[in-house]
Amino acid sequence: MTLHIVSKSPYSSSALADCLRTCGNGDAIVLIEDGVYAAQTGSEKLQDFAGKAVFCLRADAEARGVAVTATVDEIDEARWVALCTEYRPIVSWFK
Amino acid sequence: MKFTLVVYGAPHASEGAASALRFARALLEAGHSLYRVFFYGDGVHNGSALAAPPQDEQDLLGQWQRLQQAHNLDLVVCIAAAQRRGLLSESEASRLEKSAANLATGFTLAGLGQLAEAAAVCERVVTFGG
Repeated sequence: MTLHIVSKSPYSSSALADCLRTCGNGDAIVLIEDGVYAAQTGSEKLQDFAGKAVFCLRADAEARGVAVTATVDEIDEARWVALCTEYRPIVSWFK
Repeated sequence: MKFTLVVYGAPHASEGAASALRFARALLEAGHSLYRVFFYGDGVHNGSALAAPPQDEQDLLGQWQRLQQAHNLDLVVCIAAAQRRGLLSESEASRLEKSAANLATGFTLAGLGQLAEAAAVCERVVTFGG
């Protein structure tokens, strides 16, 4: 199962939309850097995450003052590494 | 588990290199091994010895170098991407008849084959975008 890492804001890039088009059953998504804006409480992007395992790097959300919605798991760097060991391949979306 | 990281982001242009550094520290702390870090595209600028960020800003180069020393990391800068962007080792500067070299200590120049080899040898390859 694939781990998708999205590092661009859904408001400035198609990275998340492109990722979601290929994200299959059993895949997981990690939001990092400006990607964390998709996890903001109240964001209209959240409906796209229905039924998917979505994680968000806590340090990057805090750095931006993003209040992460309860349905997205906030993780630290150690958990991010652990996720990378649990999934394969790892695909980064940044365009 | 054996990891290779690929860094496309130049320092100060995107967060990619800083994220890669955080990820590298976390994986080493978890007891995994970091086989190689491959700097590609604009990511080659991470290997410039001439970067002089203000003291109150993050010194990415120094942090990569300290991590390299502590864990004997293989920090590889893509030679073709580096030549185009003016990042040269002493021997490349001399061979290309340029006036100066600027590849930082702890980094080496090598070809894309080093990335292919790392991808074949490692269980995980994680890319950090520009």
